[in-house]
Amino acid sequence: MAGERRTSRRAFRPDLALLNRIERLSDTQFVYLMLTPVFVLLGSMAIWPLIDTFQLSLHADSITTSGATGDFTGLENYIEMLTGNANTLLPRPFLDISEPFTSAVSVTLIFTVVAVLFETALGFGMALVLDKQFTGRRWVRVAIILPWAVPIVIQGMIFYLIFTPGVGFAAGPLADLGLISQAPLANSQDSLLVVILSDIWKQSAFMALLILAGLQSIDRDLYNVAKVTGASKIQEFWTITFPLVLPTLLIALLFRTIAALKVYGAIVTVTNCNTLPSLTCLVVSTWNANRYASAATIAFIMAAVIALALIGYLWKLRDLDYGGV
Amino acid sequence: MAKKTGRVAFDSEPSNVIEAFAQRMMSRPQSVYQVLFYIAVGFFLLISLFPLYWLMILSLTPQSNIAGMNALTPNGFNPGVYMQIFEEVPFHLYIMNSLIIAAITTFVVLLIGSIGGYVFGRYEFPGRTPLMLGVLVISYFPPAAFLIPLFQLFTGNIDLFGLGISYPELYNTPGAVTLPLSALVMPLVIFILATFYGQIPDGLEDAARIEGSTRIGALFKIIVPLSAPGVATAGVLTFIIVYNEFFFSFLMLEGNPQEWGVLLHGIFRYQGTRSQAHNLMAAASLVGVIPMAAIVALAQDKIVSGLTQGALKE
Repeated sequence: MAGERRTSRRAFRPDLALLNRIERLSDTQFVYLMLTPVFVLLGSMAIWPLIDTFQLSLHADSITTSGATGDFTGLENYIEMLTGNANTLLPRPFLDISEPFTSAVSVTLIFTVVAVLFETALGFGMALVLDKQFTGRRWVRVAIILPWAVPIVIQGMIFYLIFTPGVGFAAGPLADLGLISQAPLANSQDSLLVVILSDIWKQSAFMALLILAGLQSIDRDLYNVAKVTGASKIQEFWTITFPLVLPTLLIALLFRTIAALKVYGAIVTVTNCNTLPSLTCLVVSTWNANRYASAATIAFIMAAVIALALIGYLWKLRDLDYGGV
Repeated sequence: MAKKTGRVAFDSEPSNVIEAFAQRMMSRPQSVYQVLFYIAVGFFLLISLFPLYWLMILSLTPQSNIAGMNALTPNGFNPGVYMQIFEEVPFHLYIMNSLIIAAITTFVVLLIGSIGGYVFGRYEFPGRTPLMLGVLVISYFPPAAFLIPLFQLFTGNIDLFGLGISYPELYNTPGAVTLPLSALVMPLVIFILATFYGQIPDGLEDAARIEGSTRIGALFKIIVPLSAPGVATAGVLTFIIVYNEFFFSFLMLEGNPQEWGVLLHGIFRYQGTRSQAHNLMAAASLVGVIPMAAIVALAQDKIVSGLTQGALKE
């Protein structure tokens, strides 16, 4: 490497010449050169598809010729979608308050709110346990993380089996109690419950790990102060643990909420997109029905809502001088 | 310590069970907390592991006995089911395809992501913050928003630049899963690696540069070896995420085991072809979890640090 300058006088080495060129770039030029592969990948696999989805959504559906869209109609698809006029054209309604368990927005919102709420509560409990020193802690942590690493299709399969009448242990007793119907996986309301349970089982560990990181960054001296002043464990929790872990908790909540809004695989495995249409489900089934533009409209509404929430949140974090960005 | 403080004073006798319990809890907090703690540990272990345990019971119960089984012990003993799942469906091919696709994606993501992480972690340059925000936001877009254009692209229905050149038909090949997933996992990997690269003292890199090394030479000779734990963390997480992925694997592959059908297609074949084979579904599901269980047991520290850094440092 030391003799790069002299190489030009010997036989021409294109590789060294290239390295030489790169080395002479300014830092900024070098940085952007290095980032080219990242830009190419993200540009072709994320940014271009997003723009194209938006373009598709500005056209009319064309169900006669597959793969193509009709005339340019501007934002009409969005107006039709958001006012509910498009509901009858879609495999399942976009939003229809009168049937909350079979319209996409309501299914997705109920799923997200309930699942994330329980995941937070359970995850907080798990994190408090894992924060303590005890024998076997390492293996308890492995056991608690394990569901997070279970593939979505197997997560769905487990709960499909648990709630299959005559097979699963939950189907019979819960039906006898009148809590679910005799065929829960064919019923929208019951299968929503099953999908929520499966998500709680899988994702609580994710919440637990993030909250645990927050707990472990708390200065232990604060607890000694609490002990000296005679605070109970419950007071300790509400005056020290909770406020200090809150920023981490909010970030964890944001990530879980956004991920939950995209639910798809668990629904396809446990039941189907017709019984329980989430937003992603509706995009896929509308697309399968050759209504490309409508599918693109729903997809872009999802993306826009998520992006706005995320950007707003990140700017707020920057103001708080908390995020590392 | 706390029980000696004696600051708890009740004016009245407990009038109900809850109050009595509360009173006991206040007077001898340490022991009660100890008991509650182990109850909590047991509870969390139970909810995490019981579904998997029950899956094993179900798989070992012969199909004809399933109707009469209880939730705790197998009704009969049929270990042969673990041979049968491979005879009915070429399940090993599906798992193999999943592992290969996960490995390819991990390789691509680490190769490109380590350069991105290096740049974001060690350079201050104009446009850094907006770019980082942009990369971050991309990873949270719903895959559904990419589906239609990518499907058209991978099935050769897009004219590139209007020149009549069509993109290689990637539909039903590993590329159709690897490329979109690489883009979605890339931000997480960049952030994990940027943190690791950022922690390496500048002095080491400066020393290499003074010795005459180029910036790229310093990256591969100094930075990458020193941040091996970070690279391993990012690799483990990517592998798990891709192996577990559903959306693109389901929609971009047809599911033929000879043509890159993956784990989820294999599992669905037990659900589809013979609706009565619940023991096979259970056995196949357990076998499908094994690679992930092994990774979690071996690399739990990496998973924990990767997930927390990936999310919190952003």
